[in-house]
Amino acid sequence: MKNVFLYAIATSVFIACNSRGDADNESSTKPESASISKAGSDTANSTSAITSSDFSITEIMSDYLKLKNALTNDNAKSASEAGNALVAGFTKLETNSLSTDQKKKFTEISEDAKEHAEHIAANAGNIQHQREHFATLSKDVNDLISTFGTEQKLYQDFCPMYNDGKGAIWISETKEIKNPYYGSKMLTCGAVKKEF
Amino acid sequence: MQKKVRTILFVGIAVFLLIQMYQPARNKDNGQLSTLHFSKMYKVPDSLNIIITNSCYDCHSNNTRYPWYAYIQPARLIMEWHIKKGKKELNFSEFGNYSKRRQDSKLEGIIKQVKSGEMPLFSYTILHRNSKLTQQQKRKVLNWIDSISKNNE
Repeated sequence: MKNVFLYAIATSVFIACNSRGDADNESSTKPESASISKAGSDTANSTSAITSSDFSITEIMSDYLKLKNALTNDNAKSASEAGNALVAGFTKLETNSLSTDQKKKFTEISEDAKEHAEHIAANAGNIQHQREHFATLSKDVNDLISTFGTEQKLYQDFCPMYNDGKGAIWISETKEIKNPYYGSKMLTCGAVKKEF
Repeated sequence: MQKKVRTILFVGIAVFLLIQMYQPARNKDNGQLSTLHFSKMYKVPDSLNIIITNSCYDCHSNNTRYPWYAYIQPARLIMEWHIKKGKKELNFSEFGNYSKRRQDSKLEGIIKQVKSGEMPLFSYTILHRNSKLTQQQKRKVLNWIDSISKNNE
Protein backbone atom coordinates (compact mmCIF):
# COMPACT_ATOMS: atom_id res chain seq x y z
CA MET A 1 0.00 0.00 0.00
CA LYS A 2 2.57 2.50 1.11
CA ASN A 3 4.76 1.31 -1.71
CA VAL A 4 2.25 2.29 -4.34
CA PHE A 5 2.13 5.79 -3.00
CA LEU A 6 5.87 6.17 -2.73
CA TYR A 7 6.28 4.88 -6.22
CA ALA A 8 3.78 7.38 -7.55
CA ILE A 9 5.59 10.26 -5.93
CA ALA A 10 8.95 9.07 -7.17
CA THR A 11 7.65 8.76 -10.71
CA SER A 12 5.98 12.14 -10.66
CA VAL A 13 9.16 13.84 -9.51
CA PHE A 14 11.00 12.11 -12.29
CA ILE A 15 8.50 13.24 -14.89
CA ALA A 16 8.49 16.77 -13.54
CA CYS A 17 12.21 17.01 -14.14
CA ASN A 18 11.79 15.93 -17.72
CA SER A 19 8.74 17.76 -18.90
CA ARG A 20 9.96 21.34 -18.66
CA GLY A 21 11.04 21.67 -22.24
CA ASP A 22 9.79 25.05 -23.34
CA ALA A 23 8.74 24.62 -26.89
CA ASP A 24 7.05 27.99 -26.96
CA ASN A 25 4.43 28.26 -29.67
CA GLU A 26 5.95 25.97 -32.24
CA SER A 27 4.25 27.51 -35.20
CA SER A 28 3.77 31.07 -34.15
CA THR A 29 5.50 33.83 -36.01
CA LYS A 30 7.17 33.55 -39.33
CA PRO A 31 7.52 37.19 -40.32
CA GLU A 32 9.82 36.51 -43.25
CA SER A 33 7.30 34.61 -45.26
CA ALA A 34 4.99 37.57 -44.98
CA SER A 35 3.23 37.39 -48.26
CA ILE A 36 0.35 39.56 -47.21
CA SER A 37 -1.30 38.74 -50.42
CA LYS A 38 -3.88 41.46 -50.52
CA ALA A 39 -3.31 42.17 -54.15
CA GLY A 40 -3.15 38.59 -55.35
CA SER A 41 -4.47 38.81 -58.83
CA ASP A 42 -5.65 35.26 -58.84
CA THR A 43 -8.70 33.60 -60.31
CA ALA A 44 -9.79 32.93 -63.76
CA ASN A 45 -8.17 34.87 -66.50
CA SER A 46 -5.57 32.51 -67.84
CA THR A 47 -6.14 31.38 -71.36
CA SER A 48 -3.43 28.76 -71.57
CA ALA A 49 -5.01 25.40 -71.11
CA ILE A 50 -2.47 22.75 -70.23
CA THR A 51 -2.09 19.78 -72.49
CA SER A 52 0.74 18.10 -70.64
CA SER A 53 0.27 14.41 -70.16
CA ASP A 54 1.52 14.40 -66.56
CA PHE A 55 -0.83 16.91 -65.19
CA SER A 56 -4.55 16.42 -65.55
CA ILE A 57 -7.48 17.48 -63.46
CA THR A 58 -9.67 14.77 -64.97
CA GLU A 59 -9.69 12.64 -61.85
CA ILE A 60 -10.42 15.61 -59.63
CA MET A 61 -13.29 16.57 -61.89
CA SER A 62 -14.70 13.08 -61.80
CA ASP A 63 -14.68 13.05 -57.98
CA TYR A 64 -16.11 16.56 -57.86
CA LEU A 65 -18.97 15.50 -60.11
CA LYS A 66 -19.60 12.46 -57.92
CA LEU A 67 -19.80 14.79 -54.96
CA LYS A 68 -22.14 17.12 -56.81
CA ASN A 69 -24.42 14.25 -57.78
CA ALA A 70 -24.45 12.91 -54.23
CA LEU A 71 -25.60 16.30 -52.95
CA THR A 72 -28.20 16.48 -55.69
CA ASN A 73 -29.52 13.14 -54.44
CA ASP A 74 -29.45 14.34 -50.82
CA ASN A 75 -26.96 11.61 -50.05
CA ALA A 76 -24.61 12.94 -47.37
CA LYS A 77 -22.79 9.68 -46.93
CA SER A 78 -21.69 9.27 -50.51
CA ALA A 79 -20.90 13.00 -50.58
CA SER A 80 -18.54 12.35 -47.71
CA GLU A 81 -16.88 9.50 -49.60
CA ALA A 82 -16.42 11.68 -52.66
CA GLY A 83 -14.95 14.33 -50.36
CA ASN A 84 -12.33 11.87 -49.20
CA ALA A 85 -11.53 10.90 -52.77
CA LEU A 86 -11.09 14.58 -53.66
CA VAL A 87 -8.65 15.13 -50.80
CA ALA A 88 -6.62 12.16 -51.99
CA GLY A 89 -6.80 13.35 -55.60
CA PHE A 90 -5.53 16.83 -54.76
CA THR A 91 -2.78 15.42 -52.58
CA LYS A 92 -1.34 13.03 -55.09
CA LEU A 93 -1.61 15.14 -58.23
CA GLU A 94 1.82 15.52 -59.78
CA THR A 95 2.65 19.16 -60.50
CA ASN A 96 6.23 18.82 -61.71
CA SER A 97 5.34 19.40 -65.33
CA LEU A 98 3.84 22.80 -64.54
CA SER A 99 5.64 26.10 -64.82
CA THR A 100 6.44 27.92 -61.59
CA ASP A 101 3.59 30.29 -62.14
CA GLN A 102 1.08 27.56 -62.81
CA LYS A 103 2.33 25.56 -59.88
CA LYS A 104 1.77 28.51 -57.62
CA LYS A 105 -1.72 28.94 -58.93
CA PHE A 106 -2.51 25.29 -58.53
CA THR A 107 -1.15 25.09 -54.98
CA GLU A 108 -3.20 28.08 -53.96
CA ILE A 109 -6.40 26.61 -55.34
CA SER A 110 -5.72 23.12 -54.11
CA GLU A 111 -4.93 24.19 -50.53
CA ASP A 112 -8.29 25.84 -50.26
CA ALA A 113 -10.19 23.13 -52.12
CA LYS A 114 -8.64 20.39 -50.02
CA GLU A 115 -9.77 22.05 -46.84
CA HIS A 116 -13.35 22.22 -48.06
CA ALA A 117 -13.24 18.63 -49.27
CA GLU A 118 -11.98 17.57 -45.84
CA HIS A 119 -14.91 19.26 -44.16
CA ILE A 120 -17.34 17.64 -46.56
CA ALA A 121 -15.75 14.27 -45.82
CA ALA A 122 -15.98 14.83 -42.08
CA ASN A 123 -19.64 15.83 -42.10
CA ALA A 124 -21.41 12.73 -43.35
CA GLY A 125 -24.18 13.55 -40.86
CA ASN A 126 -24.72 17.16 -41.80
CA ILE A 127 -25.62 17.80 -45.40
CA GLN A 128 -26.30 21.52 -44.81
CA HIS A 129 -22.73 21.97 -43.71
CA GLN A 130 -21.47 19.91 -46.62
CA ARG A 131 -23.33 22.20 -48.99
CA GLU A 132 -21.82 25.30 -47.43
CA HIS A 133 -18.37 23.96 -48.13
CA PHE A 134 -19.43 22.76 -51.54
CA ALA A 135 -20.28 26.34 -52.51
CA THR A 136 -16.72 27.54 -51.92
CA LEU A 137 -15.23 24.35 -53.31
CA SER A 138 -17.16 24.95 -56.53
CA LYS A 139 -15.52 28.37 -56.89
CA ASP A 140 -12.13 26.72 -56.56
CA VAL A 141 -12.97 24.00 -59.07
CA ASN A 142 -14.32 26.61 -61.45
CA ASP A 143 -11.00 28.46 -61.32
CA LEU A 144 -9.18 25.20 -61.75
CA ILE A 145 -11.02 24.55 -65.00
CA SER A 146 -10.53 28.11 -66.26
CA THR A 147 -6.82 27.86 -65.56
CA PHE A 148 -6.03 24.32 -66.64
CA GLY A 149 -8.76 23.49 -69.10
CA THR A 150 -10.99 20.46 -69.43
CA GLU A 151 -11.36 17.71 -72.02
CA GLN A 152 -14.88 17.02 -70.92
CA LYS A 153 -17.80 19.26 -71.82
CA LEU A 154 -18.77 21.06 -68.61
CA TYR A 155 -21.28 23.70 -67.58
CA GLN A 156 -21.15 26.36 -64.93
CA ASP A 157 -24.56 26.61 -63.32
CA PHE A 158 -25.87 29.23 -60.94
CA CYS A 159 -28.33 29.04 -58.08
CA PRO A 160 -29.42 32.59 -57.23
CA MET A 161 -31.14 31.61 -54.00
CA TYR A 162 -28.42 29.89 -52.05
CA ASN A 163 -26.49 31.59 -49.22
CA ASP A 164 -29.25 34.05 -48.32
CA GLY A 165 -29.71 35.22 -51.85
CA LYS A 166 -26.03 35.81 -52.50
CA GLY A 167 -26.10 32.89 -54.90
CA ALA A 168 -23.66 30.10 -55.60
CA ILE A 169 -22.28 28.32 -58.63
CA TRP A 170 -21.68 24.67 -59.34
CA ILE A 171 -20.11 22.74 -62.17
CA SER A 172 -22.10 20.12 -64.02
CA GLU A 173 -21.53 17.59 -66.79
CA THR A 174 -25.10 17.89 -68.04
CA LYS A 175 -26.90 20.80 -69.60
CA GLU A 176 -30.01 19.93 -67.67
CA ILE A 177 -30.23 21.71 -64.31
CA LYS A 178 -30.03 19.52 -61.22
CA ASN A 179 -29.47 21.72 -58.22
CA PRO A 180 -27.08 20.27 -55.60
CA TYR A 181 -27.78 23.02 -53.04
CA TYR A 182 -31.35 22.09 -52.31
CA GLY A 183 -31.55 18.57 -53.67
CA SER A 184 -35.01 17.16 -54.19
CA LYS A 185 -36.61 20.26 -52.66
CA MET A 186 -35.75 22.43 -55.63
CA LEU A 187 -34.09 20.20 -58.15
CA THR A 188 -34.60 22.21 -61.30
CA CYS A 189 -33.95 25.66 -59.87
CA GLY A 190 -31.01 27.48 -61.44
CA ALA A 191 -29.53 28.39 -64.81
CA VAL A 192 -26.55 27.62 -67.01
CA LYS A 193 -24.14 30.54 -66.87
CA LYS A 194 -21.22 29.39 -68.92
CA GLU A 195 -19.96 26.46 -70.96
CA PHE A 196 -16.45 25.09 -70.82
CA MET B 1 -13.43 -4.35 1.72
CA GLN B 2 -12.29 -1.24 3.51
CA LYS B 3 -8.78 -1.91 2.40
CA LYS B 4 -9.85 -2.12 -1.19
CA VAL B 5 -11.60 1.24 -1.02
CA ARG B 6 -8.49 2.78 0.49
CA THR B 7 -6.29 1.35 -2.24
CA ILE B 8 -8.53 2.75 -4.95
CA LEU B 9 -8.60 6.11 -3.27
CA PHE B 10 -4.83 6.22 -2.91
CA VAL B 11 -4.22 5.19 -6.49
CA GLY B 12 -6.73 7.78 -7.64
CA ILE B 13 -5.00 10.54 -5.73
CA ALA B 14 -1.62 9.35 -6.93
CA VAL B 15 -2.71 9.45 -10.58
CA PHE B 16 -4.26 12.88 -10.10
CA LEU B 17 -1.05 14.21 -8.60
CA LEU B 18 0.98 12.59 -11.28
CA ILE B 19 -0.82 14.14 -14.21
CA GLN B 20 -0.43 17.59 -12.63
CA MET B 21 3.19 17.35 -13.60
CA TYR B 22 2.31 17.45 -17.25
CA GLN B 23 2.13 21.14 -18.11
CA PRO B 24 2.76 21.71 -21.82
CA ALA B 25 3.95 25.05 -23.20
CA ARG B 26 1.29 27.72 -23.05
CA ASN B 27 -0.33 29.28 -26.07
CA LYS B 28 0.86 32.83 -25.35
CA ASP B 29 2.36 35.50 -27.57
CA ASN B 30 3.24 37.85 -24.70
CA GLY B 31 1.75 40.85 -26.43
CA GLN B 32 3.85 40.54 -29.54
CA LEU B 33 1.59 40.72 -32.53
CA SER B 34 3.11 39.58 -35.76
CA THR B 35 2.52 41.59 -38.92
CA LEU B 36 0.49 38.63 -40.10
CA HIS B 37 -2.05 39.17 -37.36
CA PHE B 38 -5.62 39.81 -38.46
CA SER B 39 -5.74 43.13 -36.60
CA LYS B 40 -2.65 44.34 -38.46
CA MET B 41 -4.17 43.52 -41.80
CA TYR B 42 -7.56 45.08 -41.28
CA LYS B 43 -8.59 48.16 -39.39
CA VAL B 44 -10.61 46.42 -36.73
CA PRO B 45 -12.80 48.95 -34.87
CA ASP B 46 -12.19 48.89 -31.10
CA SER B 47 -15.67 47.73 -30.21
CA LEU B 48 -15.27 44.82 -32.57
CA ASN B 49 -11.80 44.01 -31.41
CA ILE B 50 -13.18 43.55 -27.91
CA ILE B 51 -15.81 41.13 -29.18
CA ILE B 52 -13.46 38.93 -31.16
CA THR B 53 -10.78 38.98 -28.48
CA ASN B 54 -13.40 37.90 -26.01
CA SER B 55 -15.12 35.28 -28.10
CA CYS B 56 -12.65 33.98 -30.68
CA TYR B 57 -8.99 34.49 -29.85
CA ASP B 58 -8.74 31.99 -26.99
CA CYS B 59 -8.85 29.14 -29.50
CA HIS B 60 -8.17 30.88 -32.79
CA SER B 61 -4.97 32.81 -32.12
CA ASN B 62 -1.55 32.36 -30.60
CA ASN B 63 -2.70 34.03 -27.41
CA THR B 64 -5.03 32.29 -24.99
CA ARG B 65 -6.31 33.84 -21.77
CA TYR B 66 -6.02 30.89 -19.43
CA PRO B 67 -8.54 30.66 -16.60
CA TRP B 68 -7.41 29.41 -13.17
CA TYR B 69 -8.58 25.87 -13.77
CA ALA B 70 -6.37 25.69 -16.82
CA TYR B 71 -3.55 24.97 -14.45
CA ILE B 72 -5.22 21.82 -13.21
CA GLN B 73 -5.13 18.61 -15.17
CA PRO B 74 -6.99 17.10 -16.94
CA ALA B 75 -8.72 20.43 -17.76
CA ARG B 76 -5.50 21.61 -19.32
CA LEU B 77 -5.26 18.66 -21.67
CA ILE B 78 -8.77 19.15 -22.97
CA MET B 79 -8.12 22.85 -23.44
CA GLU B 80 -4.87 22.32 -25.35
CA TRP B 81 -6.64 19.90 -27.63
CA HIS B 82 -9.35 22.46 -28.38
CA ILE B 83 -6.82 25.20 -29.02
CA LYS B 84 -4.81 23.03 -31.34
CA LYS B 85 -7.87 22.12 -33.32
CA GLY B 86 -9.14 25.70 -33.36
CA LYS B 87 -5.87 27.09 -34.62
CA LYS B 88 -5.69 24.51 -37.35
CA GLU B 89 -9.03 25.67 -38.71
CA LEU B 90 -8.40 29.36 -38.35
CA ASN B 91 -5.54 31.27 -36.77
CA PHE B 92 -6.06 35.02 -36.53
CA SER B 93 -2.45 35.48 -35.43
CA GLU B 94 -1.21 34.14 -38.75
CA PHE B 95 -4.02 35.29 -40.98
CA GLY B 96 -1.54 36.87 -43.40
CA ASN B 97 0.02 33.49 -44.05
CA TYR B 98 -3.11 32.34 -45.85
CA SER B 99 -3.32 32.95 -49.57
CA LYS B 100 -5.82 35.56 -50.72
CA ARG B 101 -8.16 32.78 -51.75
CA ARG B 102 -8.02 31.11 -48.37
CA GLN B 103 -8.45 34.40 -46.53
CA ASP B 104 -11.66 34.94 -48.45
CA SER B 105 -12.89 31.49 -47.71
CA LYS B 106 -11.99 31.86 -44.00
CA LEU B 107 -14.00 35.08 -43.85
CA GLU B 108 -16.87 33.31 -45.55
CA GLY B 109 -16.54 30.50 -43.01
CA ILE B 110 -16.62 32.95 -40.10
CA ILE B 111 -19.86 34.42 -41.39
CA LYS B 112 -21.47 31.01 -41.68
CA GLN B 113 -20.29 29.74 -38.30
CA VAL B 114 -21.35 32.87 -36.44
CA LYS B 115 -24.66 33.15 -38.26
CA SER B 116 -25.60 29.56 -37.55
CA GLY B 117 -24.51 29.95 -33.93
CA GLU B 118 -22.02 27.10 -34.14
CA MET B 119 -19.25 29.41 -33.05
CA PRO B 120 -18.30 30.21 -30.36
CA LEU B 121 -18.70 26.61 -29.27
CA PHE B 122 -21.33 25.79 -26.70
CA SER B 123 -18.83 23.91 -24.56
CA TYR B 124 -16.76 27.09 -24.48
CA THR B 125 -19.53 29.55 -23.74
CA ILE B 126 -20.93 27.62 -20.80
CA LEU B 127 -17.57 28.12 -19.10
CA HIS B 128 -16.96 31.60 -20.50
CA ARG B 129 -20.30 33.26 -20.00
CA ASN B 130 -19.36 36.63 -21.43
CA SER B 131 -17.99 35.05 -24.59
CA LYS B 132 -21.42 34.17 -25.82
CA LEU B 133 -22.42 36.57 -28.58
CA THR B 134 -25.59 38.55 -28.04
CA GLN B 135 -27.85 39.10 -31.04
CA GLN B 136 -26.52 42.62 -31.31
CA GLN B 137 -22.89 41.53 -31.18
CA LYS B 138 -23.59 38.85 -33.70
CA ARG B 139 -25.04 41.36 -36.13
CA LYS B 140 -22.09 43.65 -35.59
CA VAL B 141 -19.58 40.90 -36.35
CA LEU B 142 -21.50 39.71 -39.39
CA ASN B 143 -21.90 43.18 -40.88
CA TRP B 144 -18.28 44.01 -40.42
CA ILE B 145 -16.87 40.75 -41.79
CA ASP B 146 -19.31 41.07 -44.66
CA SER B 147 -17.99 44.53 -45.47
CA ILE B 148 -14.32 43.53 -45.49
CA SER B 149 -15.02 40.43 -47.47
CA LYS B 150 -16.83 42.56 -50.08
CA ASN B 151 -13.86 44.92 -50.20
CA ASN B 152 -11.63 41.98 -50.96
CA GLU B 153 -13.51 41.10 -54.08
